[in-house]
Amino acid sequence: MTLQINFDDSWNNQLLKRISDDGPWANWELYKLAVEVEQHNIIPDFEGLQAPKYLSDLSPLPHQLEVAKKVIEDMNGKAILADEVGLGKTIEAGLILKEYMIRGLVKKVLILVPASLVTQWAFELNSKFYIPAMVQRKSYVWEQCDIVVSSIDTAKRQPHRDIIYNLDYDLVIIDEAHKLKNNKTKNYEFVQNLKKKFCLLLTATPIQNRISEIFNLVSLLKPGHLGSESSFYEKYKKDARSIDDDENLKALVNKVMIRNRRHDTGIEWTKRIVESVPIQFTEEERALYEGLVNLKTENYLSNNTENNRSPFSMITLQREACSSREAVYYTLQNMMKKVENPTPQFQQRIQELVKKVEAVQQNSKANKALELIKKINDKVIIFTEYRATQLYLQWFLKQHGITSVPFRGGFKRGKKDWMRDLFQNHAQVLIATEAGGEGINLQFCHHIINFDLPWNPMRLEQRIGRIHRLGQKEDVKIYNFAIKDTVEDHILKLLYEKIHLFEKVIGELDDILTKLDFGNMDDYMIDIFSHSKSEGEMKIKMDNLTSMIEFAQNMKEGEAYEAAGNSSIS
Amino acid sequence: MKQQEIHQFLERFFSANDCEIVENKPGYLTVQLTIEMDKELMNRPFYWHYLEKTGGTPNPASLTLITNPKLVPDDIKGELIHFGSPRLHQLFASAKNLSKYIRLYENKTGQGQQQTSLKPWLALNVKISYQCDRKRDVFQSIGLQLINGQIATDFQAKIEKMNLSAKIPDYAFTLSPLIMPKSGITRIENMIKQSLLAEDHTWAEEAQERWKKDLELLEHFYEDMEDMEEEQETLETERLALQEQYEPKINISIINGGLFYLASEAVS
Repeated sequence: MTLQINFDDSWNNQLLKRISDDGPWANWELYKLAVEVEQHNIIPDFEGLQAPKYLSDLSPLPHQLEVAKKVIEDMNGKAILADEVGLGKTIEAGLILKEYMIRGLVKKVLILVPASLVTQWAFELNSKFYIPAMVQRKSYVWEQCDIVVSSIDTAKRQPHRDIIYNLDYDLVIIDEAHKLKNNKTKNYEFVQNLKKKFCLLLTATPIQNRISEIFNLVSLLKPGHLGSESSFYEKYKKDARSIDDDENLKALVNKVMIRNRRHDTGIEWTKRIVESVPIQFTEEERALYEGLVNLKTENYLSNNTENNRSPFSMITLQREACSSREAVYYTLQNMMKKVENPTPQFQQRIQELVKKVEAVQQNSKANKALELIKKINDKVIIFTEYRATQLYLQWFLKQHGITSVPFRGGFKRGKKDWMRDLFQNHAQVLIATEAGGEGINLQFCHHIINFDLPWNPMRLEQRIGRIHRLGQKEDVKIYNFAIKDTVEDHILKLLYEKIHLFEKVIGELDDILTKLDFGNMDDYMIDIFSHSKSEGEMKIKMDNLTSMIEFAQNMKEGEAYEAAGNSSIS
Repeated sequence: MKQQEIHQFLERFFSANDCEIVENKPGYLTVQLTIEMDKELMNRPFYWHYLEKTGGTPNPASLTLITNPKLVPDDIKGELIHFGSPRLHQLFASAKNLSKYIRLYENKTGQGQQQTSLKPWLALNVKISYQCDRKRDVFQSIGLQLINGQIATDFQAKIEKMNLSAKIPDYAFTLSPLIMPKSGITRIENMIKQSLLAEDHTWAEEAQERWKKDLELLEHFYEDMEDMEEEQETLETERLALQEQYEPKINISIINGGLFYLASEAVS
């Protein structure tokens, strides 16, 4: 076998020059020191991890160390890291990157993550791993910095795209890689064309619906590992749901994918303590709510346009009435604006409703929230679905001397970080309209008030997931507000309480809901609430839904630990 | 490296660079940097440029480095130094960078006024890296006597036991090398290469196996797309990436080295 041996020949010229110039020569002590340092830092084995020695402030969990070792030693540095949510995929990726850097195998690194996570990634790599990662803000950064964090949307755009294509990356890391499941997208093509020696794809949900998704993901990482496209689909049906059915395929996938599940890790999770807080409307609030419910049966609101009669706005109005009068008012205003040439009848109807809104003087939920916040006397996050409620609550709390900061999914990333800091250091309450998607981590807080409830359980899961994650030291307390005898009450009782949704650990719900194929949960609920002709019918439909979820839940428990891609098999 | 060893390293590093250690207590030390070391470590070229332009009084920084926070009084502020900290690695790099070339003479005591002849040795401390998709290193220190071509391994450990000085001792004289330093380096290079080739290279064969396997998978993947230009380009990119990833090679890099004039014969 011919083996390439390279000898560093840059050293000798200087030696000859110094001999002829009679110096300068190094100090003997320093010379000895350099040799000692080098001897100390030498890595005598191909195997084993050096990184932990270098990371005194980080105590990686056993499963994280195992992942890092396995990726480097058995997977040759190309892997899909698919641990369940909250097990620390970022830490695993950081360990692998650090290990390669220490060993001098990786220098140039591209890290592509969702825009909302760019700052956080860079911050964590710098602070936890002492890796000088830079956020890409100027186009020269691509070439001048060795480790760059960016969003894929920025990176794929010109002029960045061409610059990046000209660079050779030693390692490419892609977070939320399940977004690359479709090989016809621009993002997919972009990643496919990157020059990458090693590659890590991070995702919590490696396969959601179709077997083609896993094929595309693996082919991005290691083309041909699952065969060519045609041979793959000859063998497996394109829309097959599960890779579990085929042992062979499962084994192949497990060669490039590691998936730890929560119960494999032996990590103790803090508890979720859920309390439903039933709230009574005041008379005026009740009057407003009933006024809106009646709209459903009457047709007064019709102005012969599709919009304002849609069950969507009717149901929305009811839900808003359970949140705040401000939310209702805002929507009514919008409805007025949208309609051209409103009929007098329509205008009159709206006017009546606005009067009812004006009659409301107290917000029962807000009063309750205030009482709770005072009692908790600690950081609290309030989630609401509505901007108007958010604004109102901020004003309301201020009236009672409680500091709060707003948070919206639409905030720019800098503002999100800033709001998080304000909350951590200066305010008692954070009022959020959205879970902020994959946004920010708020482990320092362990009280959540769900001021109103989303209809899609995933959204709720994301809310709770912001604080109930690795690093949360306290039990998490969740307060669910629901107004008695309203649509909200139904949701809480029929959906959430029945399937014990709140007690679920992070990620489980994910699995359960992907097993069900009823598309958009929100649409489904709207259908139930707006098209049911009686309470009874609605109850039956809700029961059906919950038993479907229960069924999926049992199915999941039944198949125990051997779901797709469990690493314990290989 | 334990925190105690790091502390010792810091002491030695700064002393060797003529920086005054203002305070040296268990758990931390404070050093006054010299102008040269400030330029080397503090990364503030604009400050120094400005000073040189305006002719102001230079004010090099002082550094407080903490090796054990538990032993440090509250009013002492400084940088925490541990094995992974960037500052320590900066100092490592700096130590290497400042000591690449050396020339020393053995000062053999007890020779009285007798004339001593010193024979020239070329020394190389090298790091040999075995690299494929993984990597491991070996340290070697080799000395070559430039008169008779004698080779000494573990050279560094041997000369560290000697009394060496930067100036030629009184009553000592150096013998001229018969082998020029340049060809000396080549001799050492060839010697290392020879011994490397004689080693067992299962690691490299295994890497080539892995490479071959992945290459076959890759080519199978693109089989159906032989006439598509764009796909062929991607294939080529992937091919090169696999080469980068797996191709086994050995890199020999020189940590430092230089000329040693030794009186002792016992180097073998």
